[in-house]
Amino acid sequence: MIHLKNLDKQYKNGDQTLRVLNDIHLKIEENEFVAIMGPSGSGKSTLMNMIGCLDQPTSGEYLLHGTDVASQPEKELAKVRNAQIGFVFQQFHLLPKLSAMMNVELPLIYGGVKKKERRERARLALEKVGLEDRVNHLPNQLSGGQKQRVAIARALINEPSLILADEPTGALDSKSGTQIMELFTQLHHEGATLIMVTHEQEVADYAKRIVTVRDGEIIKDRGHEYVVPR
Amino acid sequence: MSFLDSVKMALRSLWSHRLRSMLTMLGIIIGVGSVITVVAIGKGGEAVLTSQFAGGGNNTFEVYYMPPDEELMDYDAYDDVAYTTEDLRAIQEMPSVNQVIAYAYNSTNVVYHQEAAGAQILAINENYYDLNEFTASSGRLLDNRDVDNGRRVVTLSTGVVEELFAANDEAVGQIVNIEGVPFEVIGVHERENQSFFAFQVDELLLPQSSWPMLYGTDNMDMLNVQANSADDIQIASHAVTNYLNDQSTLSGEYQVLNMEEIEQGISQVTNVTTMIIGGVAGISLLVGGIGVMNIMLVSVTERTREIGLRKSLGATRGNILLQFLIESVTLTTIGGLIGIMLGAGVANTVSLIAGWPFLVSIPVVLLGVGFSMFVGIVFGLLPANKAAKLDPIEALRHE
Ligand SMILES: Nc1ncnc2c1ncn2[C@@H]1O[C@H](COP(=O)(O)OP(=O)(O)OP(=O)(O)O)[C@@H](O)[C@H]1O
Ligand SMILES: [Mg+2]
Repeated sequence: MIHLKNLDKQYKNGDQTLRVLNDIHLKIEENEFVAIMGPSGSGKSTLMNMIGCLDQPTSGEYLLHGTDVASQPEKELAKVRNAQIGFVFQQFHLLPKLSAMMNVELPLIYGGVKKKERRERARLALEKVGLEDRVNHLPNQLSGGQKQRVAIARALINEPSLILADEPTGALDSKSGTQIMELFTQLHHEGATLIMVTHEQEVADYAKRIVTVRDGEIIKDRGHEYVVPR
Repeated sequence: MSFLDSVKMALRSLWSHRLRSMLTMLGIIIGVGSVITVVAIGKGGEAVLTSQFAGGGNNTFEVYYMPPDEELMDYDAYDDVAYTTEDLRAIQEMPSVNQVIAYAYNSTNVVYHQEAAGAQILAINENYYDLNEFTASSGRLLDNRDVDNGRRVVTLSTGVVEELFAANDEAVGQIVNIEGVPFEVIGVHERENQSFFAFQVDELLLPQSSWPMLYGTDNMDMLNVQANSADDIQIASHAVTNYLNDQSTLSGEYQVLNMEEIEQGISQVTNVTTMIIGGVAGISLLVGGIGVMNIMLVSVTERTREIGLRKSLGATRGNILLQFLIESVTLTTIGGLIGIMLGAGVANTVSLIAGWPFLVSIPVVLLGVGFSMFVGIVFGLLPANKAAKLDPIEALRHE
């Protein structure tokens, strides 16, 4: 489903070039649950942004469902993000003036779904993450774990083929973190494809496959027969 | 994403910053409001001016004597202006003339017992009431029988009555002395339809036929002529001035206010005023628009993370551009509408006080709305474009 080939990402800073991702090869199949680990600054988030079509590689190829998304125009990428990808962020990124329900609705608004259907689907998504009694709460009336569950409901609402979570438990205590990971496990069992960045081994252990990144290169890919070419 | 959804989103976001939105609108409100007010007051004033110069629309023009330039400031130059009975009869016979309204006037004292009051005396006949409507607040007005029979009767204005008598109805039936001649007071008169700024003069009206008794002449000082129709005004005014100038031995000239010239003059003044107002409006809307742009730029910076998030959820550049454009247009349009309502309110109050017609016209209102929308688009474009161009990753990372 995801196929990265010879992927490079460089940042130019004056006459200095910073190679953040270096010749990445990565294949992820449908219904995999992958954790990406590695030291700070190794390029994990950059890799996630690339997979999430928020960023473009400097060179290399990125095939999503067999189509090369790297060469698509901005408008197409927005459509891909809207319909196929659900993001979960470390800092939740809920809009503070909108209720839980309206936050969850946002992707449907950009997807052009009618209001009545939006309401219905947002309610179902909140139910799924166990927040049916917090529908009209504002983000600052929710706990950290609840906020992250609203964010997950938002990521799920368009029934994306891929869920990307960059340190989803990074801002949570261990109990809420466990709840989130149980939710992810459940989604995985229901057939979702999940890619998650984490620093914590216990969190990574929920995943079936752990990819380790260092200095922009994949140095270990445990739980997968795929051999990293060097 | 539907347009209605975009508008709702913009309204919600403006509502969540109510105070700021209000303050941002202020420039637009004041700009549009003052334009509406000034235009309405200008139109009201123009209507009043035009109707006054046009003789209230009853085809009347005033004949006046214009001394040669070197005598312009010399009061004596006007002393010999006089319309004789023959003059008036000749003018009355002209085919384009409907009626002649002539009167004589002087300043003098009215005496009642030991009291004296200064006043203008006007020697009139019934025609005079066609120049200005009068009512009697007590007793009656002069009529043609008073004139024909040379009665020594007089009506007083309220101001004169107040100086000489304890009450309005006490005056009627009393005898007052004018230039040593006794006159019977038959009524107290009031001028109707006085415009707000015209002040009331203390005056007496007495029959033309009694004028020689006071001043030894039946010549009249002032001449107004009513033409048969609006089309006859030009013909009549030429005929009258030609006749008078032929008869005249004075060095000056008899003239008539030329309506066409006056109307042109008024509309020229109005045009200049409109241009000045337009300039002021433009500047105030420019300042208001810059205020809107400023706040929108602040708002884009504040909401950088929101923009990044929306993009990550599938918003296109176009969606973001539209969102911020709609916000700024909504801001300026609501400001414009409030400005129009305030301006109309002020204009209405002014016209009520001044007794003018209320003239907030629909084109002006539409122009006000259209202009505020335009300002919203023009000054919203830069911030909206800045928002649309944000890189989603950097935006999401924004502190
Ligand atoms: N816009 C940019 N310009 C220049 N360098 C950048 C830019 N974005 C990221 N980098 C650099 O790329 C490298 C990788 O960043 P990235 O955010 O992917 O790391 P990470 O593995 O997610 O780290 P962490 O675990 O702390 O989140 C870092 O050294 C960072 O400084
Ligand atoms: Mg990171």
